[in-house]
Amino acid sequence: MSATLGRILMVEDDPRDTELTLTALEEYKLGNEVIVTRDGEEALDYLYCRGAFQGRTTDNPAVLLLDLKLPKVDGLEVLQQIKSDERLKMIPVVVLTSSREERDMVASYKLGVNAYVVKPVDFYEFVNAIKELGIFWAIINEPPPGSIQRR
Amino acid sequence: MGEQRQRIEGQQTIGGVADAAACPVPYSLSKSRGYSLAFASVAVALGTALLLAAQNFRGVEFPLFLMANALTVWYAGFGPAIVALALSGLAFNYFFTQPFHTLYITREDLPYYVVFLLFALLLTWFSTVRRRIERDLVASRDALQKEVVVRTQQADLLNLTHDTIFVRGMDDLITYWNRGAQELYGLRADQAVGKRAHELLRTRFSISLDDIQKELLLTGRWEGELEHIKADGSSVVVASRWSLQRDEQDIPVAILETNNDITQRKRSEEEIRELNRELGKRTVELEAINKELESFAYSTSHDLRAPLRHVAGYAELLQKNTVSVLDDKSKKYVLMILESAKRMGNLIDDLLAFSRIGRAESRKSMVSLNELVREVRGGIAEEIAGRNVAWTIGDLPEFYGDRSMLKLAMLNLISNAIKFTRTRTHAEIKIGRAEGPPDSIVILVKDNGVGFDMKYLNKLFGVFQRLHRSEEFEGTGIGLATVQRVIHRHGGQVWAEAVVDGGATFFIALPSV
Repeated sequence: MSATLGRILMVEDDPRDTELTLTALEEYKLGNEVIVTRDGEEALDYLYCRGAFQGRTTDNPAVLLLDLKLPKVDGLEVLQQIKSDERLKMIPVVVLTSSREERDMVASYKLGVNAYVVKPVDFYEFVNAIKELGIFWAIINEPPPGSIQRR
Repeated sequence: MGEQRQRIEGQQTIGGVADAAACPVPYSLSKSRGYSLAFASVAVALGTALLLAAQNFRGVEFPLFLMANALTVWYAGFGPAIVALALSGLAFNYFFTQPFHTLYITREDLPYYVVFLLFALLLTWFSTVRRRIERDLVASRDALQKEVVVRTQQADLLNLTHDTIFVRGMDDLITYWNRGAQELYGLRADQAVGKRAHELLRTRFSISLDDIQKELLLTGRWEGELEHIKADGSSVVVASRWSLQRDEQDIPVAILETNNDITQRKRSEEEIRELNRELGKRTVELEAINKELESFAYSTSHDLRAPLRHVAGYAELLQKNTVSVLDDKSKKYVLMILESAKRMGNLIDDLLAFSRIGRAESRKSMVSLNELVREVRGGIAEEIAGRNVAWTIGDLPEFYGDRSMLKLAMLNLISNAIKFTRTRTHAEIKIGRAEGPPDSIVILVKDNGVGFDMKYLNKLFGVFQRLHRSEEFEGTGIGLATVQRVIHRHGGQVWAEAVVDGGATFFIALPSV
């Protein structure tokens, strides 16, 4: 198992949210499928196989869990970059954010996001949401050709 | 001519529109007086001639009679002159030509008579010419007088108007000044006439005087705003209209200037502009405050929720991992942390929803309130499963408004009714129309719940205001504030009636369209 391979690419700057998300995914043994990047730039580095991710196989993740509020390059910019690139635009992107703001929602959908999920405050709901997301996108959904295959 | 002499001299008919030909001639006498003058003058001439003849003065009788004739023709006219001529001839013949005291005319006297007659006729002719000239003069004087009267009347009429009117020549010298001008500028006509208008009034032009003159000469008129200085030194803004007068040769001769005082209007306009500026500034400030609030709400949404989620998440994990090691008290503490986090989450969500009502653009359409109530009931069906609730839903109207906002309002009212009837074994909730003003739709939501004390009515619709302890009835205190905000945004009213432990009724009145 390569450390640089994962079916779920998560972009999340808050380590606590990362931990809670991973804990939730772990219940379905999906924890190992996750690659965590801490900001938009790192996420794009992963997708373009550059910087720290030079030399990884060029397969795309099955799903990208994207926070909107990120240091350096923010979520909407990452989304725009992905959806305007022929090689990346097929990757399903799920915005996972604290923001229930209509403008964020509208901007995301306009850029072609595949799903928009507001992180529930309640932990049960949060865990359920993450689990369902993980199951749907990483297991049920048939990823586009060229995605990293399930181990 | 005889008719003219019937009139007494000096009888002026100012204002009367007399025929010029019928005008009396001054110095002319009445008919009888004319003939009397003829007789008297000839008699005086005869008497004088006889007296002088008695004193041996010779040759004066002829000029004396001529004088008598001249006097008569001058003052009494043609008829009496003929009489005077005849009388003089007879008297001359009778008293001064040989043979004396007869009317016989000798051959050598004949030239005397011819010369006398011719001279008398010449005098008469001169006199007649003089009279004609005099008559014409009088006629034109009368016409002039009539004209003066008419003009004076017109000038008086111009004086009656409150508009400021004055006339100035092309040299800017004022020739006419009405009472309106006196009232406006505080200058009498005698102080203004003969002065240069622009100097006297210290005219300030909004455009150059050259441009005004150009337009005036081209079109014959000009309109615009001018600023003048009154006699007391204060300034006045006038709406000025200039009209150019031309003579028969089409040469400009005078300018009629009519001014209206618009100082007050200008001041009001300036005040309105000032108010608008102020309003614009306030609007910008308000927009800035709104933006600030919006970004505050946004960061609240984003930044407050994250740590809260972490508190809840880690407390949850703690609970899970320590279920076998913690004592009951500690377990309760963890539970409290979880409950509090959840409550705070709800508070933030409600507050954000509430602020969104104020900021969101409303999307209006025809909304069926019946349908709305049905949907709301469907949404809370799970919540009231197992409870005994008797619904009475009346026929509700349609209303033109924002569907999602109205639904939120109905949801809050119905949820409240459900919540506060929880302690009842038989909950009764009634939704229907109520009586109200003719131009509004009034809907009531009535329950038989715990009600509230009417003395706290003023707190009922306030944000975070609660009339029940949270351990009795949970809630954030946002629900009714939200209802009020939604209804106010639709131009409506909300009010409530209640009895402690006797149920509550909420009314919403929406303007009918």
